[in-house]
Amino acid sequence: MTGAPEQRNVKLTSSEGTEFKVERDVAEKSVLLKNMLEDVGESDMAIPLPNVTGPILQKVIEYCIHHRDDPVPAHDDDTKKTDDIDDWDAEFCKVDQGTLYELILASNYLDIKPLLDLTCKTVANMIKGKSPEEIRKTFNIANDFTPEEEEQVRRENEWCEGR
Amino acid sequence: MFPIKKNFFLTMDSEKQTLPSQPSQNALAKAATIPSELIFQIFKYVTSTSDLKSCILVCKSWCRCGVELLWQKPVFTGNASLIKLLVTLSRNSQTFPYALLIRRLNFSFLGENVSDQILQRLSSCERLERLTLGGCRRLTDNGLLKLLDKANGLVALDVSDIENLTDAVVELVGERCRRLQGLNVSLCKKLSDKGILAVASRCRNLRRIKLSSCENITDESVVVLAKNCSHLLELDLTNCHQITNEAIQPVFENCTQLRELRLACCTNLTDKSFTKTMSALYEQLRILDLTSCALITDQTLLKISHSAPRLRNLVLAKCGNITDEGVCHITRLGKHLHYLHLGHCSRITDYSITQLARNCTRLRYLDLACCTQLTDASVFELSQLPKLRRIGLVKCALITDQAIITLIENRVVQHTLERVHLSYCVNLTVPAVLELVNSCFRLTHLSLTGVPAFLRSDVQQFCRQPPKEFTPHQRQVFCVFSGKGVKELKQYLNMVIAQQRNRIANGVGDTNDQVAGPAAAVGADIEESVASEAEGVGGEISESGEGENENGYNQNNYRNRNHVIDSNPEGDDGYVGF
Repeated sequence: MTGAPEQRNVKLTSSEGTEFKVERDVAEKSVLLKNMLEDVGESDMAIPLPNVTGPILQKVIEYCIHHRDDPVPAHDDDTKKTDDIDDWDAEFCKVDQGTLYELILASNYLDIKPLLDLTCKTVANMIKGKSPEEIRKTFNIANDFTPEEEEQVRRENEWCEGR
Repeated sequence: MFPIKKNFFLTMDSEKQTLPSQPSQNALAKAATIPSELIFQIFKYVTSTSDLKSCILVCKSWCRCGVELLWQKPVFTGNASLIKLLVTLSRNSQTFPYALLIRRLNFSFLGENVSDQILQRLSSCERLERLTLGGCRRLTDNGLLKLLDKANGLVALDVSDIENLTDAVVELVGERCRRLQGLNVSLCKKLSDKGILAVASRCRNLRRIKLSSCENITDESVVVLAKNCSHLLELDLTNCHQITNEAIQPVFENCTQLRELRLACCTNLTDKSFTKTMSALYEQLRILDLTSCALITDQTLLKISHSAPRLRNLVLAKCGNITDEGVCHITRLGKHLHYLHLGHCSRITDYSITQLARNCTRLRYLDLACCTQLTDASVFELSQLPKLRRIGLVKCALITDQAIITLIENRVVQHTLERVHLSYCVNLTVPAVLELVNSCFRLTHLSLTGVPAFLRSDVQQFCRQPPKEFTPHQRQVFCVFSGKGVKELKQYLNMVIAQQRNRIANGVGDTNDQVAGPAAAVGADIEESVASEAEGVGGEISESGEGENENGYNQNNYRNRNHVIDSNPEGDDGYVGF
């Protein structure tokens, strides 16, 4: 489809009502939008995205434009390796944690698997090698276990030590 | 919409939980920033168990998500960790219903450490989907019946090589596990049609079944299997000696999606099994093993080459009727054919090997052991194959140094060859083989058993230990280098050659230098003394010598080596597929 002469723009509206214009092949990086566009056909109506804020939608579009020519990932392409993030993607993910979580939510909602993978991997890498206490600090999480509960969970899962 | 699994407590009905209270909203206002539905998604990328273990101790919501991943496919570092897991499962009050989280168990590497008692203590794992117990030889029906009794959701079961297993277990599987898709009962020699029929008639979703060496199995089992389980992708009947053409007919009639069919040592089979029955196009068929189906002829190969045009692995070892004509039929497979075993097809000549090399240009693995008519001309043609990784020429006694030289003159082969089998190619000399070792930098395996030029203690010191069951004679001629051994051989021989050159340069070489052990050994004296002995042994050794006892094929407790060697077209490193 890319390179077709009548590449039409698609209008998207963020939760605050800001309108974004993107080329159709960029929008179609999102499986949600791709399906919608196929169902609706040609239309000048803007597609409302009430779950995505303007700044996040801006970021998502930036990602989709950069990756517009990437091949469609295989369906069961379970790449669980977390050390294969390229420089552009790594730079893209240098945002505050709040933005990162919103990107995860947005890529989940819009069904953009490569972006969901990237953002989840980025968070997973922040967990690597840390103790529970260090993880709590990193993500600003309160420990809601009672000491007894924590001890019991620790004991119940002792079997997986040493790996 | 992208499917994100809800965490465990939202989806599972369970009464045992003792962590039900949601954290108070105020205290955890900040912690709530990662929506819990995404924690699960993120945890999928936390690949190390110890990181995941840290995660579950962070807070309650992380704990709920993490334990599910931690327990669905428990990985044990050894017996001790398994025991600890059992202790958790037997506790009265558990934070989570851990047993129900377990979906997959693989005990095959614990082997004989796995007892019936262990399985009994796991009988509360009612949501098991995959259970791998291959080689856990101490197990009996008692443990298995207990564990499988509630495993209604089981999808795959591997109980291969559990000698004591009887029909009772397989019948229970047929009764309980209607969703079963994969069953491996290889080497369960006590099984009979009774058990297999129970599975074949009820588990209609069966995709893969391995019955290798279930010697009691008759046509009846296979017929019902073929008629009920039309989705079969993999069928292994290796060593099921009672199987006849009658069984194969319904297989080809009903199971047109077959991907892998192993019929090694089904010695009753004739051309009829194929020529009369392969009425459809079997485009998915990739692997066909007909080892020792000695009655088949070129007619079968003609049919196969038309009906299974995308065959990738074809094993015809010990199909002694095959001639050049049959091999020429195979060349129709063209670039699809990657793996071909023609060992002991002693009627074939350079003519068909030439056709093969020119048409099947993506061959990676080729075994021509005991094709005694082949000459250097065949090797010359094969040296043109751009992807050749493994070549077996054991007992192709007409091969000379010239073959080795042409092989390595091809620059491509230098980059691809990994395993070369030259045992009993009695004409080969040290300099030619050294050339081979020096130029093929990927070479990890080189066998030279019974090659007189290499029967020298200074060279054999780098070869690996002969298998325990070898006779003294067999040990004496054993000469197989692998891994480190290849490197050491290369270094040593190069050193010897260098020394020799130095001596000649210094004028020492001329002085009949008997003391210069290694250097002189490159000459002829020692070779001859051992050669006569080696030839004497040659005949008796042919069975085991030809298999070369490739590394590792007995590692997974597969004791039944005779057929394992031959029914192993996926790679020559032994039976690794459970």
